[in-house]
Amino acid sequence: MLTKKSNSVTLNNKRLKDKIFPYAMVAPSVIIFTLFAVYPFLMGIYISFFRWDGLSAMQYVGTQNYSNVFIDSDYWTALKHTFFYAFFVTVGKNVLGFILAKLMMDLVFAKGFFRTITYMPVTFSYVVCGMLWAWIFNPTFGLLNNFLSLVGADSLIMGWLSDPKVAIYSVMWVDIWRWAGFHMVLYLAGLQAIPKDYYEAAEIDGAGPVSKFFKITIPQLNSVIVLNILMAVTGALVSNYDIVNVMTGGGPFGSTEVALTYIYRNAFEFYNLGKASAMSVILFGLTLIFGAIQIFSMTRDENYDS
Amino acid sequence: MNMNKALKIVGTVLKVVALAIIILLTIYPLIWMISGSLKGTQEFYTNIWGIPDAWKFANYSAAWSRAGLGVKYMNSLIVLAVTLLVIIPAVGCAAYAIARTNFRFKKAVYSYLLLGLCIPTGVLAIPIFSAALNFGLVDKLSGMILFGAAQCMAFGTFLLRSFFISLPKSLEEAAMIDGCTRFQSFLRVILPLAKPGVMTLVVLDGITVWNEYLLASVLLRTDAKMTLPLGMKSFADKYVTDYPQLFAGLVIVTVPMLIIYVFAQRSFIEGMTAGSVKQ
Repeated sequence: MLTKKSNSVTLNNKRLKDKIFPYAMVAPSVIIFTLFAVYPFLMGIYISFFRWDGLSAMQYVGTQNYSNVFIDSDYWTALKHTFFYAFFVTVGKNVLGFILAKLMMDLVFAKGFFRTITYMPVTFSYVVCGMLWAWIFNPTFGLLNNFLSLVGADSLIMGWLSDPKVAIYSVMWVDIWRWAGFHMVLYLAGLQAIPKDYYEAAEIDGAGPVSKFFKITIPQLNSVIVLNILMAVTGALVSNYDIVNVMTGGGPFGSTEVALTYIYRNAFEFYNLGKASAMSVILFGLTLIFGAIQIFSMTRDENYDS
Repeated sequence: MNMNKALKIVGTVLKVVALAIIILLTIYPLIWMISGSLKGTQEFYTNIWGIPDAWKFANYSAAWSRAGLGVKYMNSLIVLAVTLLVIIPAVGCAAYAIARTNFRFKKAVYSYLLLGLCIPTGVLAIPIFSAALNFGLVDKLSGMILFGAAQCMAFGTFLLRSFFISLPKSLEEAAMIDGCTRFQSFLRVILPLAKPGVMTLVVLDGITVWNEYLLASVLLRTDAKMTLPLGMKSFADKYVTDYPQLFAGLVIVTVPMLIIYVFAQRSFIEGMTAGSVKQ
């Protein structure tokens, strides 16, 4: 009797442990994520309905911050720059990353060495990349203009960061330069996973390089392309503060002002955290769609019960 | 036929040239950064292309002391180490539970954590400041660690889960028959096999944490608490003319992540490859 009872107690105990085990395992992540990401996010929505300078008491103003944002043309210009920036940077990173991967594929020697080198800029901070390239772009002492005059292309010499028409492209280039190696690694992995006999079969059928590219390479790479584009888009939309802040600070004449630099300025230079929060919420709404697509594509055709 | 051969050779030459240009574009700025950091202030402006006449290693010690890099280095290292020590175990456990056990709210928990992908630091910067005020985490390294770690939960859980799912179930079953508890079998059997995934996280999250600038500008207020990226920026704003020293500072800041990457890269590339192609 006694042993039976104690057996069933340990069994119950074990069953209880098994039941609690998964919850104990996910708890740390869920708690940290909730307190330090979700809670601030909700705070942001809350603050967007208040007037607040970051120091004194908050004052409820209803939707006034939002109506202020809607008539603030500087913010909409900054948003336009943000999407413009994100579009070209996404295209640039992917095209360059893909070309690099394709070139790497055909390389017969020192593949690892070249891959290591092209990935190195990824490990640099935007602060380092920004300062380095700001100096390369320096109109008189910079490498770029000196190189151009050396090869006789004087007509191309310009103020890469001081000309309002050019500055944003210069900043974009640095972003592309930093991340191309990252996308290269992903594309390389995708290319290497395509079975060689696909190409051999196509060649027997008389397919040229162009049709091989469009009929085999692109369809086979589909999921890698989607992943690369999504990562580049979300990256470019919401992580361009560093590079813009370091290289141009939003200038010249606001030509490189993106949403994040403008939001930061409103919060910590104009001490208008309510309005800055409202702008953050709007930016969040606009970028949500890309985040949602990303989650969808990451979890699709997956089996939860495995 | 000959025409074809000629085309092929031209194609190969073009490829090599293109690759050389891209490699040069990547590597030359780095070499130039290092060579610039060793030049004298005068030489920096006159000898733009070449290697330095006399190697002025004194630039490094000057940058180190003038920018107060000692304290900032320490701060950055602490933030990097502790953040990784928070992220990797937390994410590892969560990913394991989601991949290998069944519980009622599994799908809900996983979707909830993945939401992190939708709310990146950029959008959160201002709200994080107010949350940090409430928690008393302004101008504290612990603030950098906790808010930084929260940003990495979503991707980490996703990546490690995909690793755990791909491992055969018989492995832990065997371990549990041998008397391991569930947690022990996770620690001793499953985790070592997911090393590429863990190394991938160490590199990717390490890069993010080491280079974190926006979060630092929002949270850190005093010189004594600054991390390297913020410290370098304020150094550059103060001593705008002394470029060789600034470049020396940039090299100093860059080295640790480069070392981690070079050492971890075999596992890291493996992890990235597995993570992206499996889809």
